Order: sequence, then C-alpha cells, then structure tokens
Amino acid sequence: MTDVRVLVLTGFGLNCDYETAYAFELAGAKAERVHINSLIDGSANPDDYQIMVFIGGFSWGDDHGAGVIQAIRMKTRLGERLLGFVEKGNLILGICNGFQVLVNLGLLPGFEGDYRSRSVALTFNDCGNFRDDWITLKTNPSCPCVFTRDLDQFELPVRHGEGKFYAEQSTIDRLFQQNQVAAMYAMPDGSPANQVFPYNPNGSIYDIAGICDTTGRIFGLMPHPEAFNHLTNHPDWTRIKEKMKRQGLKLDNKGPTPGIRMLQNGVDFIRQTL
Amino acid sequence: MPYRLEVALKPELFDAEGDGVRRKAKDYFGYDLSDVRVIHVVTIDAVLSPDQLETIRNEIFTNPVTQISSFTPLPLAFDWAIWVGYRPGVRDNPGSTAVEAIEDVLGIRFEQDQAVYTSKRYCLRGAAGLGEKDVVKIAAELLANDIIQQWRIYPKETWEPDTGTGIIIPKVVLDHTPTVTTIPISSDQILKKISNERNLALNPHDIPTIRSYFLDKDVRAARSAVGLSDPTDVELEYISQARSDHCNHNTFHGRFLYRDTSSNTEEIIDDLFKTCIEAPTLILKEKKPWVISVLWDNAGVGRFNDNHYYVITGETHNSPSNIEAYGGAITGIVGVYRDPLGTGKGSKLIMGSYGYCVGPRDYNGPLKPRLHPRRLLDGVIEGVRDGGNKSGIPTPFGQVLFHPGYMGKCLVFVTAVGLMPAQVKGEPAEQKKTSAGDLVVMCGGRVGKDGIHGVTASSEVFSESTPAGHVQIGDPYTQKKMHDFLLEARDEGLIRFITDNGGGGLSSSVGESARFSNGCEIHLEKVPLKYQGLDQWEIWVSESQERMTVAVHPKDLDRFLELSRKHAVESTVIGKYTDSGKLHIKYHGKTCAYVDMDLLKSGFPQWKFEAEWRSAENRGLTEPVLAEPSDFNQLFLDVLSRPNICSKEWICRQYDHEVQGTSVIKPLVGAQRDVPSDGIVLRPVLNSHRGIAFSQALLPFYSAIDAYHMTTCTVDEAVRRLVAVGADFEHIGGVDNFCWPSIQYDSKVNPDGKFKAAQLVRSCKALRDICLAYEIPLLSGKDSMYVDGHLYGLYGETHKVSALETLQFSAISVIPDVNKCVTLESKVAGDLIYIMGLTRNELGASEYYDMLGYVGLNVPEVKTHEFVDLYRTLSHAIQQELAASVHGVYRGGLGVHLAYIAMGGNLGMEICLDLVPCEGLDRNDTVLFSESAGRFIVTIDPQNRSLFEETFSAIPHAQIGTVTDSPDFIINGLDGQTIVSIPVQELKNAWKRPFGDLI
Repeated sequence: MTDVRVLVLTGFGLNCDYETAYAFELAGAKAERVHINSLIDGSANPDDYQIMVFIGGFSWGDDHGAGVIQAIRMKTRLGERLLGFVEKGNLILGICNGFQVLVNLGLLPGFEGDYRSRSVALTFNDCGNFRDDWITLKTNPSCPCVFTRDLDQFELPVRHGEGKFYAEQSTIDRLFQQNQVAAMYAMPDGSPANQVFPYNPNGSIYDIAGICDTTGRIFGLMPHPEAFNHLTNHPDWTRIKEKMKRQGLKLDNKGPTPGIRMLQNGVDFIRQTL
Repeated sequence: MPYRLEVALKPELFDAEGDGVRRKAKDYFGYDLSDVRVIHVVTIDAVLSPDQLETIRNEIFTNPVTQISSFTPLPLAFDWAIWVGYRPGVRDNPGSTAVEAIEDVLGIRFEQDQAVYTSKRYCLRGAAGLGEKDVVKIAAELLANDIIQQWRIYPKETWEPDTGTGIIIPKVVLDHTPTVTTIPISSDQILKKISNERNLALNPHDIPTIRSYFLDKDVRAARSAVGLSDPTDVELEYISQARSDHCNHNTFHGRFLYRDTSSNTEEIIDDLFKTCIEAPTLILKEKKPWVISVLWDNAGVGRFNDNHYYVITGETHNSPSNIEAYGGAITGIVGVYRDPLGTGKGSKLIMGSYGYCVGPRDYNGPLKPRLHPRRLLDGVIEGVRDGGNKSGIPTPFGQVLFHPGYMGKCLVFVTAVGLMPAQVKGEPAEQKKTSAGDLVVMCGGRVGKDGIHGVTASSEVFSESTPAGHVQIGDPYTQKKMHDFLLEARDEGLIRFITDNGGGGLSSSVGESARFSNGCEIHLEKVPLKYQGLDQWEIWVSESQERMTVAVHPKDLDRFLELSRKHAVESTVIGKYTDSGKLHIKYHGKTCAYVDMDLLKSGFPQWKFEAEWRSAENRGLTEPVLAEPSDFNQLFLDVLSRPNICSKEWICRQYDHEVQGTSVIKPLVGAQRDVPSDGIVLRPVLNSHRGIAFSQALLPFYSAIDAYHMTTCTVDEAVRRLVAVGADFEHIGGVDNFCWPSIQYDSKVNPDGKFKAAQLVRSCKALRDICLAYEIPLLSGKDSMYVDGHLYGLYGETHKVSALETLQFSAISVIPDVNKCVTLESKVAGDLIYIMGLTRNELGASEYYDMLGYVGLNVPEVKTHEFVDLYRTLSHAIQQELAASVHGVYRGGLGVHLAYIAMGGNLGMEICLDLVPCEGLDRNDTVLFSESAGRFIVTIDPQNRSLFEETFSAIPHAQIGTVTDSPDFIINGLDGQTIVSIPVQELKNAWKRPFGDLI
C-alpha cells in the first residue's frame, strides 16, 4: 500500500506539530514536520505530500490578527506552489491558528475556485479571553467536507482567543446554501448551541466551528482533533471507565477516537485516489 | 517620515477587548462606562511610498471582513480618549513582528534606526460626570503602568480630528560612547561608597576580599600585562552578580547560630543547603536509581523510561511582578522555560505551573501598594497566560493564595517540566561540558539596557527607590523559535554545553560555563545590540531575555548557524572557551576584564545569621475559647466561598492546559469539569502509556504557628496530591521553592529577624526530615529572600509588610499506566465513602479559625511513619483499580473536601461524622474543619468492599457514608442529628460566587 504523506507545517511560533504528526500516524499516514522555511527554500517539496496541515499555535505571536502574518509569508513566498497543491486534488487541513491562516490566505471559503480573497474572519472571542474547554460539535451531513464524513456528533477541545467566526450576512447565506459549514458548536445533546456560552465558546455567528471550500478538500476548524488522540484525553474518561466497569466492560483504548477518525477520513480519501 | 495607522473593529462588531476594559473599570473603580472601543495604533518609523503604505495597510494591518483603518485618526465617538504606548526601550513584541511582516510584503529591509511601534487608543463613552481625575485613574491604574508605559488623555472637547494623538515615537537614543571605568579601591570605604552610587550592591563583608584580590602583587602584575590596574566596572559588576544572594544563595549557604529559647539549647548549622537539601538528596540518589542528575545543572533530571528523562525546576519572579505584574510574570514563565532547555544538552518543554500569592483581591484598607492586589493578580494571570500559551507549553496546574502579608511583595512561582532523550548521538544527554577551543555562541534575542541589575534588585527589600529599569516583557515568540532550533541542533549532536541567560545575563552564563574549561575569552563588541550606546559592563550583565549561551565545536559551527538561519534565530559567536584559568573580556581588542576563574571560590566570607526560636506557646499562642456553632448550613456555605477555598476556574480556563495532546488528568475534573483536580497527569511520550504526575502545595498559614509544621504539611500535601491521582509512591521527586522575609536581624529595620531566621532553620530541618522519611530527593530548588515591602499608610507613614514564611513544594512522579489514573469526583450512586487516616484536634491556623479571626495553637503535624503505610497501600489499591475516586483532605478540612467530591460527581452524599476515626474529638466543627494531614477520602464500588477493607486492615480507615442519587449533601453530626443538609448545586453556587463572573 502506498503511503499517504502528510506535511505538518512548523516554525515561527506554531506549536501543535508533534501531536498533529502523531495523530496522522495513528490515522495511518506518514507524517513529517516541515519548517515553513524549508518549504520556502525548496528543501522540502509540496509535491511529495498529499495532505498539508496548517497547525495550531501562535504564528508570529498572532500579533496583528491571528494567522495574518503566516498567511502573508505563505502568500508572498509560496503563493503559486500552494495553489498548485490544491489543484492537484490534495487535501489541506487548518486547525485553530491554521484555520485562521487559511481564511487570511483566502483558501477558505474559496467561493467558485477563488482561493485568494478574504471574505470570512476569525476574530476575538466574545468572552474577551483565551479559553480552553471541551465543546460538542455537530457536523453537517450534506457538507462535501472530506474530514467530517460520518462523524455526526462528538467532542473536541478548543483553545483559542480569536475563534469567533464572522462574515457578512450574504457570505454566511452563501456558505450555508453551498453546504460549506462543516461543523457547528452544539449543546451536549446535539441541539444547536445558539450562541450560548460556553457551548459556543467564542460567539461565532451561527455557531460556526469549521468550514470547507466548495470541493470539500480544504477544511478549517477551531477545535483540535489532534488533541483527542487517546481516550484519556477526554475530560470524562475516568467516569466513563468506572461506569463501564460496573457493566463488566473495559475501557477500549484500541479504537480510534473521533479526533483520529476525522484525520482518517482525510487519509482514506487520499488512499482511494492513489 | 513616520506614519501612524489606526486600526479598529468595524462599528457593528462587538469589541471584546474594549468590553473587558469597561468591565474592569466597573470592577476596579465602580465606573459605569457605557462603551469602550479600542483602536490599535501602528506607528511606522521608516520611509515608505504612498503605494507601499496602502499595501501594508490592506495586506497586514487591516482585516477587510472585520476591521477599518486609516492613516488619519479614526473618527470613533468618545467622551474621553486615552492613548497608551510603551516607554523607550521597552520590549514591543507586536512592533517587531510588524517589521517582519512589512519586510516580507514589500520585499524591503528596515535600516538599523527604523522601527515599528505599537500603542493603543481607548475611546471611552458614557459614565455621566466622569471627570479628568477619574479618567486619569483609569489610565494610570487600569490601562497603563508608568514603569513601562506612557499615557495621555484627551477630552472630546479639545480633540483635534486631523492630528489626533500626534505621532509619538518611543525610540531609544543613547548619545553615549561606550566607556570602561576603572574603580579606585584605595579603601573599603571608597569601594563601599562607589558600590552604593553605582548600585553594585556589593556585600560590605565581601569588600575586603575583593580589595585584597585586586591589591595582590601577582594579580596586579598579571593585570598590568593586559593593560589593567585597579578593577574595572565590568569586573566589579561580574563579581557583584556572581556574589548576589540570587545567584550565589548566600543565605542558604550561611552559618546559622540557632538558639531554642524554650529548651535553652544552642546549635550551629553550617550551611543550610548542604545539611538539609544536598545531604539528604545525595543519600536518596544512592537508593533511587531513577535519579539521573541533581544539584549542579539548571534543573534536576529523573528517569521517565529507558529512552527518556524528565527535567524539572522552579523559579520565582516576585520583585519584577510586584511593580509590573504582566511584564514580571510573562518574563518569569518564559524565563523558567529556559532552564530545562538549558539542562544537559537541552530538553523539550512539556508543562509549566504557577503559584500566585497576593493581598486580598478586595482590599480596601489604608495601605497603598504600588499595584492594588486585584490589578496585580489580573496582570500576573495574563502574563503567565501569554507566556505559557504562546510557548505552546501546557499550563495545567497552579495555586492562588490571598493573604495581607503579600501586599509588601507578591509571590509569583513558576515551574517548568521538560523531557530529554536519554542519549544524544550515543552520548548521555544529561551531561555537558565546555572544552578549550569550543566557541561561545549567544542565541536568541538581542541585548539592550533592559534587566540591568535585576539580580541585585531582587536581593533587596522593595522600596520606592528600587530601579524600575529591570522590568522586562518576555517574548515567547522569539523564544519558541529558539527552542525549536536548539532541539534540532541538539538532536544533530551540535551542542556541547548549553545554559540560559537569565539573572546576571552573559556574566552568569559565560562565567559559569567557563568553569568547565577553566577560562574564556569574550569579545563584547560582537554581542548583537538592540541599539548602540551601551557601556561594556551593561552588555556583560544585561538581562535581556530569550537568550541562551551554547558551546559549539568549531567543526560544527557552520551547520549550527545554518539551522539557526532556518529557524529565523540570531546566533553569534562572541568568543571562545579556554583553559587559561582567566575570565578574559575584551572590547575591540582592548581588555576590560581579566580575573581568575577561581576568584569566586576563594576567600569570600560566609554570611552569618542569628536564629532565635521561641515556641508557639512561649509566644503566647493558645487555642481560642470557642463554643460549637449551631448553624452549620450557613457556616458551610461561608467556608466554601472563602477566597482561599472558592473556585478559581477562570484562571485554569485561560491557560492552555492540553496543547501537545498529552493531557490525561486535567486541572478541572468532574461531571461539569469545574472542580480542581488533586494533581495532573500527562502522557508526554505519545506512543507510550507511561505518565508524568505533577502536583504542588502551598500552606504558608501554618508558619504563623511553626514553619517546621508548615513545611512538613506542605510536602505531605503535595505527595498526597500525587498519590491521589495514581502516582507511584516509590518514585517522587521534589522541588523546594522558599520565599522568605528578610532574616538578617537589625534592631531598627528587622527587629524580628532572628525569629524569621529560626523559622527558616526549622523549615529546612523539616524539609530534610520529611524528604528522608518519604524518600523524596530534591531534584531542584530555589530560594527568594527579602519578601518584604514598605507601604504608605493613611498619614504618609510607611509600614513594613512581610510575607508569611512560604514554601511552595512541587512533586513529580511517574505513572506506569495512565489508564489506571483516578479522579476525585464521586462516580456512581450507591458507592461507599471511606476516610483513610486519623482526624485529630488540629485546627491551628486552619481556614476555619482564620474565618473566625483566630490563629490557635494546634497546628497539624505530619506523622510520617504512620502515613507512609497508608500512601504505599493506597498506591497499590489504585493500581488494583479498587477505587472509584480518591481525594486528599487539604485546606478547609474534611467538610470542604467531601463537598469537592460531591460537587465533582454532581451526586448527593450522606455522611455520619460519628464514624470518622478520630483521636479524642468530641465536636462537630473540629471533625469537619480540622486540617490533619495524612488523610484521603476514597469512594468504592460496594462490590469491592471486602477486598478494600482487607487491603487496609492495618491502617486507620472507616466507611463514613455513601454516595446518593439525591440532590442533597447531608452530614449527620456526632450525635446522629443532621447538621448540614444542602443541595449540591447550592454548595457549588456558594463556592463559585466570589469569582464566578470572571472569565
């Protein structure tokens, strides 16, 4: 079986590189941490990879809007190579800071194949602070997003200060019409969070947590799938374990977590095309 | 010419930052502003064309979806505007990244004298009747700290819409030619006078030693050969830094004459560190093969598994945080992260933790601290937030403690844990040395005037004349790049020695690393500067942050510098290590320092202290005369909402506690994920099931009775916190972090110095005793003395305010299989609730007594031999998966900690106090609130009852109740009558009330 190769961008204050690479390995891929400058100077070649991950962190300290300066660096130094990567049918995943980069690059929402325009934004949380908490996500079954297939409802951690999704109403309408809203914040029972804090942790309009482009191959989300790489990452695992024990069951640490399944969706998609 | 760009959120968007200011103005001062909006100001001091300006405005500084911007003042409505910007020379992180971005977008390079400065303009509306005095208050006491910032206020009426704030450029211009000054040493008095004038902080007892060295005939002959005579300022600064209490730990290495006035006995303790910290650790190192490296490096090293070692150390950053809370705290956390990075050949950081001790948050008494405790705490919290989060290192644990004693000087503890491979290119990773011929490379940030004399300032009592220049703002972005670079260089085997530039700057890092090779030759002109005009001694001792000193073999230099460029990190060769026996510093070829490497080791006098212990009884402490309360329900709710007991969720949630994907037991646990965990657990090697458990404790209250018991109780609590989550009791490493008021007796300024010295001696002895009993090697440690301040009162008088004698103890352990960890909350209705260990009449300095205004006498005591059996057995029982939940009994006592378990599980419970194993207790309040050490509460599946009871048959324990599915928390008193009956939700409401609105 041919390897699915994943490029995990690092450097300049990004910080989820090890666990993102590890999570993709769990998902069956071969993942490499590659410094942004190695991509720029050509010592790493995007053509060797099928999935590119824009990871979480604080690129350039997030000083002038989260993800803004990384997007500039990528656009000015890599612009066409990046677009070429997309055109080849490869996948791009942006997590947290990476999602912020994708919207600043214009790779998202990518209306009508326009991968250069900024039309949505991730801005300061309404709560006014950075927040680390686990939230419930509900996916959109009609969405073409490769990564969220068959996931329905699950929990992931959010860890950000600038995750409030915002766009003009016409843009939002279009995102919903084209089923580009891949994941939304929800109540624990799966009903819409309706902007109620902390279920919607940042005030995102329409509870939007993640969107994809019209092809479903470029996906960005604020929550961190790679941080749910083991059952013990889940805040309730000791309770779940104890309750299962009472039913004579064991905590199963073998199967993939929802976070890993999300990445597996991407890996499987590529594997089918190889 | 300079340009000023103003950027703001579109008017229709909610301004969360502005709203935060509005909330704080209400919270701090009671002002009802209707609206605050923030304008981000970017001042570009460079020559750019109109097209270029428009490009960077659109591409970098303005998000077209959310923001508006203009090179003329934005016409936002306001009643008052406040502009806040940095003072010259203060680290402006966004300014630096703006330069990078502009250079990228425009393809240009900024000249050395060009820069970008960021500032903010706050537009305030509403608050009818808000006068200039009020706005000044908001500017000076909420938005700006004049130590690092400048501010201006503008009323609506006089605002010039075309020019706005004008263009303000905080550029450092030092019209100064670097000069080496020779210091005359003709007499002790002259040197002492110069030391005072130049703020050298030389210890008077050291001055004769210094003079005799520089007057020595042979020394003078050798010096004259390199063109030197009397000492230079570079040399005296070097000696001052190295001899400071901060670097040299003179207090802990001191000679103590300890007199116990009650038994009328005397004892001499020669070197507290050697006798109470080093000696037991060396004994235990022999017994514990997992101890890899202790007592010499920047941090201690223990074995995690065959292929990995963990690394741990702790620090404080009290003095800087006390005057600039945000800057001090961010510099503290980012700084402590350089210690593991500089341990062995370098470690990756895997977690950090915090401890804040401040005055009461709602203090409204007559004393006037520089920063109100509320503002200080907010700033400290935010500093550690940005420092930790932006470093990509989880911050999963910490403590916050309020006490008026910390109004003189606050405490900011920061702790760091790292992970290193056991070997680097076949060599032991924990070892390092410099050799003659190795190059001295400085990596990371540049050097400016910041942080000069930080070390000596932290070795002084805070006063109005403390120089402010040592306050810095840490830059986690620059450091993160350096961290990634150095780990890659380590893995390629390019690092022979590495250490950080913290206190003392190059003076310390080069001075200490050169001891291995026995000499160095440094060329100060090669050190990259932020701006020109620094004197040589300033370059040498500056504490500019985010720098490491690395020894690189010449053959590896090219590759090392190549990796440095890849990671966009500045690295510069500034000299080489030699075996000449001399610390030799030159500037453009001319020698400015030439001293023997062993100078610091020879002949300096040991500090001496008199310590006089008077027991609590002899000091007149007694138990209060207090009859039992009748309203336990209200009492219970009031205890839960005490500042030192209540929920501090708002702090945990703003700290990223799960980056790196390693989180197993989080800081907040339970059904609603809001109850603080006993300890935290990480799985630092992602493909392994082994875990690191970490906990800390702080119990300074007990020092009011006896610092001996304060110390043993603190260590005991940290240990129980580890055991409670499932740690291996046979493998516990400790980090001691002492923060003490001044102990040097002076009849005028420190009349109780001898008593405080005795407290320190007792504390150190206690640490030795308990570490030997629990077999805890001290992997690392730190002391910070002089936790005193002089505060103005109502009438212009000043009061000396001293902190409680404080020890923060960190404990770390390894967990063989994280899948067996437990959390504290009750899990299933019907489970049995056990208490393990005896409850004694130990309310002295308890939360309960404190609430009622008493200290008392019966301080909790640690019975190590009794407790060890329980801890071993409980560790074993958790490994056997016998326990559904485990929780220690800590501050507040049994009642409070039963409530934690119920609130965590969101389940009711019914408890019978008459079942609690006690030693001679006959009162409900004593059983409920005694803070006896050595106790746990465990809940178990009823099916495990017989096995559980059999396991603990030799240990005092009892089932005291059951978990119920009722909403109520019920406690039946000693006579069987229900004394507490409160819905769990109501407990939680009370517990969350004090800080529940903070986010």
